[in-house]
Amino acid sequence: MTHTSPKRSLLWATVALTGALTGALAMGAAAQENDQEDEVGLTHYRLFVGDHADNVVRAIELEDGADAGTFEIAQTPALTPSDSGRTLFAVQGDAGTVATIDTGIAFEDHGDHADISVTDAALLPATIDGTTPAHVIEGSGTIAIFDDGSGDVTLFSEGDLTTEGFAPATIPTGAAHHGLAAPMGDYLVVSVPAEDPEAPRVGLRVIDTAGNAVGEVVDCPGVHGQAQSARVFAFGCQDGIVLATPGAGAEPPVLEHISTTDLGEGNVSTLKGGKAMQFFLGNFGADAVVVIEPGSDDPFNVIPLPTRRVDFALDPAKAQNAYILTEDGQLHLLDVLKGEIIQSARVTAPYSMDGEWRDPRPRLAVAGDHIAITDPNAGLIRVISTATLEEERTIPVAGTPYTIVAVGGSGATD
Amino acid sequence: MNRRNFLALTTALVALPHLALAQDRLTVVTSFSVLNDMVSQVGGDRIDVATLVDADEDAHMYQPTPADARSLSDANVVVVNGLGFEGWMDRLIEASGFAGSVIVAVDGIATRDMPEMEGHAGHDHGAFDPHGWQSLANARIYVANIAQGLSAADPAGAEVYAANADAYLAQIDATEAELQDLLAEVPQDRRTVVTSHDAFGYLGDAYGLTFLAPQGLSTESEASAADVATLITQIRAEDIAAVFLENVTDSRLVQQIAAETGATVGGTLYSDALSGPDGPAATYLEMMRHNVATLAAALKP
Ligand SMILES: [Zn+2]
Repeated sequence: MTHTSPKRSLLWATVALTGALTGALAMGAAAQENDQEDEVGLTHYRLFVGDHADNVVRAIELEDGADAGTFEIAQTPALTPSDSGRTLFAVQGDAGTVATIDTGIAFEDHGDHADISVTDAALLPATIDGTTPAHVIEGSGTIAIFDDGSGDVTLFSEGDLTTEGFAPATIPTGAAHHGLAAPMGDYLVVSVPAEDPEAPRVGLRVIDTAGNAVGEVVDCPGVHGQAQSARVFAFGCQDGIVLATPGAGAEPPVLEHISTTDLGEGNVSTLKGGKAMQFFLGNFGADAVVVIEPGSDDPFNVIPLPTRRVDFALDPAKAQNAYILTEDGQLHLLDVLKGEIIQSARVTAPYSMDGEWRDPRPRLAVAGDHIAITDPNAGLIRVISTATLEEERTIPVAGTPYTIVAVGGSGATD
Repeated sequence: MNRRNFLALTTALVALPHLALAQDRLTVVTSFSVLNDMVSQVGGDRIDVATLVDADEDAHMYQPTPADARSLSDANVVVVNGLGFEGWMDRLIEASGFAGSVIVAVDGIATRDMPEMEGHAGHDHGAFDPHGWQSLANARIYVANIAQGLSAADPAGAEVYAANADAYLAQIDATEAELQDLLAEVPQDRRTVVTSHDAFGYLGDAYGLTFLAPQGLSTESEASAADVATLITQIRAEDIAAVFLENVTDSRLVQQIAAETGATVGGTLYSDALSGPDGPAATYLEMMRHNVATLAAALKP
């Protein structure tokens, strides 16, 4: 093939959008500019909204607010997308089941470009049933669902969901507790409960896929919240975080506790992991967030917020951006590299954090150049520009829109 | 993770009296260790250079950090290989706000299509082989691109960069002759070898060697059981003499293939990264010499 191959010029089209690569274009790619218009491809984002009162998940096209399906389930769900975005897990703990939804949006990676395909969203026949299924965590191509009611973990791959007679493997990890299991290669990192299952979880340990313990328990009192960034997992503890780094070759992952007690009052209990860069953003108490850079000499950077945090999200494409909504209805743009809030704008009416954590409050999802925010009291999704933090439009939603997930992106179409 | 500090290079290939003052030096970030050496050779004292992916690290699997983004935001020039080798670079550049110029080292080489192995269905990585530095002929193009790019960013240094590039090209020519000599004694029927991933296609094309690998062009792809079985059959059928480990990949799969086929493990080749300073491939030209000498030693009758 020659340099004028359409696949290569798609790469250049993408590169040109960064606005920073004029040097690259001057070094031999300029001749390919003519191809770019043919290679813009398709951008499609679809929102999935869990209702706070009704037992439904609604799918909505971001572009025009069109209905893309309503899926009846047993209970108001917590929503977790798979890493690929092809599947959405609707976790219904009290109903003892996890429903799976095919989002209808799939990417096929070809290294220098990706193809996108868009089909209808659909409820899949596969369910993961148990006592009280809770956290869904994907790692190394394996999805692990921890059952708080039994202490068991169900393991499967995304591809298994659409195979005939889906019957995933379940392994015991110990006593029932509000726990988690993170797949890392041939191992799992699991929470370890206190003797009294109502007491805070005491730590984390590595087990193999047969459920056998590997190595010692690493202290992580009250372990809650986890995220993955670049094959490293981070877990929140009452006194710090634990980082789990993949071992070399067939070695088990290495767990390391890093104390946050020097940072003052607060602890990490919710985490998000960077997609294009290796870092984590966590809460630090109710009214601060912390940027965590694994491997750095100075891994924590605490950023105070003006009021308590309602929800926060990372921008998967613009890796330096995080968005934080506070209870005064303000949305803040955090520059992760600088560790500073660089812009704030009022986007909803105030939502007090007084009351139950599961009361209806806004949640955020990032979809390309837009932040989609549920506004349960207004019965809306507010679509906010990532560039200006200004409201671009609203999408009316039936019921009480609450949890939200955005899937999609840009790709070529064949 | 010691990639945070810029190294003030002391390479003094051409010690001209009118060296740039320290504050005038170009700040250059390279994506990986091979480019870092080439850029150091061409830039000499006029530049400060740092690499993102260190010696013995795998650039395919690399995940940049916020510290990398901050180092890019302070840089004047970024040097990348291109052809999708650094799949993480576009987003890193965007996140950093980098506003300098980008040198794409691979521009202008005759690209190889992805070598298809039988049973390689479902392989989903780039259509072009990005490992251009594995041929000295390509290295000449890399050096020319680097010299041109540095000169564009720092026109006052153009003569220095051109002189440094010429001196380095002369070393490349001398190395080329050495490699030809090393391989002269390897017979035609002992020129097929196995490595972990398809990193050596350009080397093979240059010297009449055939490289087979269970993984594809990127170490990100997992070798399927079918690929490995096909490869084992092929090794037996063609009586392939030697398999080689790579410095940036997990050696278990190749060791297992060697054990199953009885092929000899011929040593470690440096594919996508240099060795550390005390290793056998501390510079690009040492890497080329080490790889070809290791191949020749294992393949000579
Ligand atoms: Zn490679």
